[in-house]
Amino acid sequence: MTLEELINLTVNKSVDARGTACPGPLLEAKKAIGTLGSGEIMEVLSADEGTKRDIPKWANKKGHEYLGTVEESGFFKIYLKKG
Amino acid sequence: MAKLCMGLFSGSLDKLTAAGVILSGAAADDMDVEVFVLLQGARAFIKGNENKIDNLSEASHLENEFKKALEDLNVSTWYEFFEMAKEMTNVKIYICSLAGKIWGGEKLEDFNDLTDDICGIGEYLTAAEEADIHMFI
Repeated sequence: MTLEELINLTVNKSVDARGTACPGPLLEAKKAIGTLGSGEIMEVLSADEGTKRDIPKWANKKGHEYLGTVEESGFFKIYLKKG
Repeated sequence: MAKLCMGLFSGSLDKLTAAGVILSGAAADDMDVEVFVLLQGARAFIKGNENKIDNLSEASHLENEFKKALEDLNVSTWYEFFEMAKEMTNVKIYICSLAGKIWGGEKLEDFNDLTDDICGIGEYLTAAEEADIHMFI
């Protein structure tokens, strides 16, 4: 997915985990994805560098699709599609 | 579903926190987890002791810096990590009967609410044998 496509995605759920360090963002993502239906889109906001690798790996393992990451100033947004 | 078996020997704040973070990761992954609390670890699981744990296994002279950093980073307490993991996945916590006795705990009611049962060493080894991942902390 291109950066432009990521930015223009309509998200069904946004999780702001910027106030937490590892494993906070992963736990927030895990809790939130349970509330979504298959095919719905979730974004996770994180300022924890470890999350950039952690959440995509976790998502792939759990059967969700990792769509990409968008860098913002001092944090980033990770996009996932629920499997 | 992957099975994680943890031997939790340490009852120090740094290692309990590490164990809690690992359990949270296992919970995010929906693993089945069995924790066997051994000698020193059992002190932390005696009812009422959860907030009294403040010594470090390593770099003990930096205890205050370590605690302050955890607080500044908004890291959950070791107890909260364990609670969260139990809410999210199948985590069972067993106290080794000898370990419990060393710290004055004989019956299940002597231990905190995280504790599922008291067990012997044979059960730990069998769980380690059957697990996909085994770690000793």
